[in-house]
Amino acid sequence: MKKLLALVLVALMVIPFVLSACSSTPKKEQSEVQKIIEQAQGMSLEELAKKAIEESKGKTFYGVGNSSRGKSALPVFIEYLQTIDSTYTLEFDWQQPKNNKIFDQLTAESKKTVGTYAMTLIQDGNQIESKMVQTGILDTFIPKEWAEAKGVSADKYEGYLPLQTLNKVFMFNSVGTKTFDNCWDFVAKDAHGQFMDIDSEIVGKNFLYMLTKDEYSKYLKDAFDKLTAEEKAYFQPTIDALAETAKDFGLGENGKYALAWIKLWVGSYNKVEDDGPICQNLVDASAVDQFGLLVYSKLRSIEESDTKSKNNVKVAAYEDNYEGIGGYGYCHYLFVTDNSPLPWTACAFIAYMTCTQKGFEAWGKDMGGYSSNPKVAKENEELHNHAKGGYVDGENKFPVKNDRGYDWWVGDGKLVLEDPAYCAKVAFTVGSWIETLDKYTPAADK
Amino acid sequence: MQMTFSPQANRRAVIWNKIKTFFSKPQNTILVIMAVICTFTTFAPIVAIVEDTLKIHPGTIDANLTGRSSGFTIVNYTDLFTSTIAKQNLWNPLLNTLILAVGSCVVSILYGGLFAFLVTRTNLRFKKYLSAIFIFPYIMPQWTLATVWKNMFDSVAVTGNRDGLLAGLFGVTMPQWWCAGMFPSILVLGLHYAPFAYILIGGIFRNMDANLEEAATILNTPKWKIMTHVTLPLIRPAILSTILLVFGSAMGSYPVPHFLGLTTLSTRYIEINDRRAGQASILAVIMMLLGIGIMYFNQRSLKSRKSYTTVTGKSGQTSVINLGKVGKIVIAIILVLITFFTSIFPIISFAFETFLPNPGDYSFLKTFNTDNLTTKWWTTSENVSENGMYGQKGMLFNEMIWRGFGGTMLVSVACALAAGVIGTLIGYAVSKKRRSKLAGYVNSVAFLPYLMPSIAVSIAFFKLFSSGINLFNTYWLLIIVGTVKYIPFASRSSLNSMLQLSGEIEEAAIIQDIPWRKRMTRIIVPIQKSSIVSGFLLPFMTCLRELSLFMLLCGQGLILSTQLDYFDEMGLYAFSSGINLILIVTILICNALVNKITGASLDKGIGG
Repeated sequence: MKKLLALVLVALMVIPFVLSACSSTPKKEQSEVQKIIEQAQGMSLEELAKKAIEESKGKTFYGVGNSSRGKSALPVFIEYLQTIDSTYTLEFDWQQPKNNKIFDQLTAESKKTVGTYAMTLIQDGNQIESKMVQTGILDTFIPKEWAEAKGVSADKYEGYLPLQTLNKVFMFNSVGTKTFDNCWDFVAKDAHGQFMDIDSEIVGKNFLYMLTKDEYSKYLKDAFDKLTAEEKAYFQPTIDALAETAKDFGLGENGKYALAWIKLWVGSYNKVEDDGPICQNLVDASAVDQFGLLVYSKLRSIEESDTKSKNNVKVAAYEDNYEGIGGYGYCHYLFVTDNSPLPWTACAFIAYMTCTQKGFEAWGKDMGGYSSNPKVAKENEELHNHAKGGYVDGENKFPVKNDRGYDWWVGDGKLVLEDPAYCAKVAFTVGSWIETLDKYTPAADK
Repeated sequence: MQMTFSPQANRRAVIWNKIKTFFSKPQNTILVIMAVICTFTTFAPIVAIVEDTLKIHPGTIDANLTGRSSGFTIVNYTDLFTSTIAKQNLWNPLLNTLILAVGSCVVSILYGGLFAFLVTRTNLRFKKYLSAIFIFPYIMPQWTLATVWKNMFDSVAVTGNRDGLLAGLFGVTMPQWWCAGMFPSILVLGLHYAPFAYILIGGIFRNMDANLEEAATILNTPKWKIMTHVTLPLIRPAILSTILLVFGSAMGSYPVPHFLGLTTLSTRYIEINDRRAGQASILAVIMMLLGIGIMYFNQRSLKSRKSYTTVTGKSGQTSVINLGKVGKIVIAIILVLITFFTSIFPIISFAFETFLPNPGDYSFLKTFNTDNLTTKWWTTSENVSENGMYGQKGMLFNEMIWRGFGGTMLVSVACALAAGVIGTLIGYAVSKKRRSKLAGYVNSVAFLPYLMPSIAVSIAFFKLFSSGINLFNTYWLLIIVGTVKYIPFASRSSLNSMLQLSGEIEEAAIIQDIPWRKRMTRIIVPIQKSSIVSGFLLPFMTCLRELSLFMLLCGQGLILSTQLDYFDEMGLYAFSSGINLILIVTILICNALVNKITGASLDKGIGG
């Protein structure tokens, strides 16, 4: 036994260093997929579709993404290809890893000469940049028509290709009498919002990073100014205590308000595994005075019953006297994997989703997701009229579902928008500080 | 013609002959092959994960602290052990892990042991039913009890979120310590692993020589003294075995602490992996070291266990304690009620959940209005995203679920066959050469993966097979990992049964010049059929509902348990409950079939 233990310990210490000699060096030459992307960026959707048919007829397409709806978009894409070649068939499999596993999965897949996944729909600009793009695991493809709609040329465009902006918004259960008319109410004493844990869904952490950016910390400061003197007195010590830290991080003059809000939020939110369950919780008649920050479109999943109703919740930012940030907006980005087994098909699918309303339909049919292509966004709203999404037979039955649209959200709704570059910049200053904060555990509270 | 041999040639011939003689014995050949295979499958992943602790990972804290995006560093160690957040990333999770593991051992031994005592040593009623139903929590995925617990006890007033069944229907709220955290985690894992204690301790109770207790009674020894000085020492080996099995398994459990809001090393691994990949690997290494420590403990306890063999042999006499006319029924009813909540209620709850309009929407129970029930989770045949289906077809038409079912069956059957054959061969060879160092080495190395937490083994294999030979997201990887992890089930089961088998039986066949293959298939295997089949059955059953071991090795679509986890995380409890039902029914059918055909069954074989 002792020998076995000794053997284990020696192996643990020595072999890693031996293995280190075999570690690979990053590649610099343009990969085959990158060459294909270069050509694809100059092609129309129809030309890409023909290439895709040639490449993938009768094969299986594997995609992976943070959104489950890629699964719904693929059959529509296949139907589109069948309008060009009626004999075209394509099997498909779409996966949605949880708990940030998508980055591990893509990293592991990238070691294969030919990977499993043709493309990905992925969120969290911060990790995408440092773990996926800089390492050459994912390649950006900009469709020609998408670039034209944005008024740029595909080869000149800098940045990733967003499919859509999604919004997570503050909602509260309205069965009781409590109201939330200021974003500081969500971090008030004894307030415990429901939120996906920032260690589970990293875009939540990005939301906190973004609050420290000048324009958003100003939103917080302005909202703070609208509080009553009594409310201010509760928050002021925390704000003052963080003034130095904000300076150390090089944040702007209102940085301390952002840090205070972050500290109070991390110390108070009640973590829930997904936005779906948060929505299910909030619409329950029993969830009196509960609130959360969750993906707006989750409201679509609620079926009316005797205890659950969409009318049991309100969107905070839609309330007339509401002050401050209304939620958080982040993007779903589209990439081709650098070892994609079906790069042409991946490009065609990406172009189809970003350049046609039908391609975007899987997301567009519900509120809370806004196409990055202005042309598609307009067509989609004309078709679905989400502004009146809560109307049934001409009657405004579910006002909470009347989506005021992207422009309203980023303006009046004071949506905090993800900026991957800013997130990456503060990830190891503000980010490391957030890690030191005590998270809320209900046990400590009761 | 005269032939001359040099001394050197002679020596070579002698060595060659020795080698030939050595390998002419099948047990030696098996041991050498298994030593090579087990060394690789056990140590290569460990090496891969240790390497990862020293690696710089792009986009993580080690890259930030070193200012490099590749290469090696010890910064992960220094930062994890000494940074200002060492307490929350390392020490608290470590402490919680140890408390959870110890607590689970205590609960499983007390509950399983007491149950075993009542079933084997008393005139309790409904023994057959209770014995069968008791193992249900082990059959079910371990977190199912955790989700049932949450559905039962959550309340807006205490845990936030929403009201569970108890609060919603009866207005009863339980305190926080009861609803989430350490207490329910210990209880759920203790209940899940109690069948280990039941089988191991029950086995000894069943075979225990009652003369010892009777002698003590005749000598007027007080009952408590008989219990502490006679009975408990007799079952001590079984208690130790239970501790070893439960400690390692509970320590590496991910889903239970995750669902019940307890931070352990395994949950922390998942939480910090995005920013601190190297430090997360150190947590996995710590879990592995704890596993190795348990193995050391196991070796020591095995040595001391030898002294008990004289008293654990079969006796012709067993005494049955009379619980009294009322006692035998009352206690049985209490046990029936307890097992109802641990075994039957979850199944009813899963079935009910698949007919609710929204996850956790118990409107029907409050109103008895059938409009508050639906069959959409089963019968939706189109790909729709409305009404909470999230683009999924109903379970009867859902290709992903049935493909996952096929994948689960494939992995489980393959693991059972591979682990069963390898384990049986190891058991056979070790029993034949039990005093040789090679046999001791193979026995220990083959057992080591079982004592390592599943999630640590999973992480190690993920690191190993996501570079070089890339098997990530393939059935091959799941089968390899499952086989390595479950060989101990078969090897222990086989070793125990082979040790019972007198050498004369095989020797008689050898004298008759019967080849080894025939000796195995016609003599040894048929005699010990029941134990050997258990060695195949256990990997199969365990594999069917394994999550911690497979969750990092594949996407969610490949097998049912990862799909179940996915649907649970999404809050689509109807799907996860339906998959749970499918798994439970599959296991019960398989168990019944194997029991019918071979006489072996899960409740006779747990723990090997």
